[in-house]
Amino acid sequence: MIDHYDWAGGREAMLRFGPATGPVVVAALPLFEEANRTRAFIVTILRALAERGIAGALPDLPGQGESLLQTHAATLAGLRAGFTAACTRFDTAYAFAVRSGALLDTRAEVAGRCHLVPTTGAELARELGRLRGLHDGNNYAGNLLSPTLLAELEQAVPAAARTIRFEGDARAADLKLRGAPLWRRAEPDNDPALATLLADDIGAWVRACEA
Amino acid sequence: MQREGFAEVEEAVRGVLRDVLGLSAERAAAFHEDTPLFGALPELDSLAVAGVLTEIEDRLGILIEDDEVDGEMLESFGALTRFAADKALG
Repeated sequence: MIDHYDWAGGREAMLRFGPATGPVVVAALPLFEEANRTRAFIVTILRALAERGIAGALPDLPGQGESLLQTHAATLAGLRAGFTAACTRFDTAYAFAVRSGALLDTRAEVAGRCHLVPTTGAELARELGRLRGLHDGNNYAGNLLSPTLLAELEQAVPAAARTIRFEGDARAADLKLRGAPLWRRAEPDNDPALATLLADDIGAWVRACEA
Repeated sequence: MQREGFAEVEEAVRGVLRDVLGLSAERAAAFHEDTPLFGALPELDSLAVAGVLTEIEDRLGILIEDDEVDGEMLESFGALTRFAADKALG
């Protein structure tokens, strides 16, 4: 169902999945182009969690998706305020963030955080710089971004979280799964098998935290 | 005689092309030294090039400067693998 939430800058849409009671897994999409490449995958995970009896929510953050705020007006502080406001709609919220989405749950009062292949703001800024170079220095793969946001990213790091990475990734993680980075795919795709594995893991994690 | 570790780099580059471009395992497995890439693979547009390079950096733990990126290194599977191996193996 399509719900909404209010934050200091207005009202944004929020997809809801599963039961109306109990803890809610609130998902944060990666920023910019990677959001388009992972939305279907993250919705598949939230639907699978709902089948396991755990509620989920996917808020459009200020400057993302259907938000009336233009992308070039988005700031990291605003995106974080939006995610925080979405979480306050629920008595008990758990954050599930993918890639640079892990930079957005920092201020939210959540019972736990789970990050899938999190990235730092500096890593994202570097990738954005490469994209801009490919587009003659005018835009970032079609997006105009505010200097404020780019400056905020340079310092931004994810909060402590249960971290999931892929096998073959040398960085530290609580769990390593076999998988491919959908967020790099030239054409958006989905991976229902990986979504099932993640829903099993996140579902068990939430239940363990609640027990 | 190939350098030690070259085969691992080659497999990493093959895996990156498969995962980023969404190629079938069979198609990626058939890539060889002379397989042409940029200009020959319709999936490999400029946006995909950024994804390929960044993913190679992540998997091999290397940094590729933008001024090192040119048509030559992307010309063939062999050229891209040699570029990555020079970075990763020294």
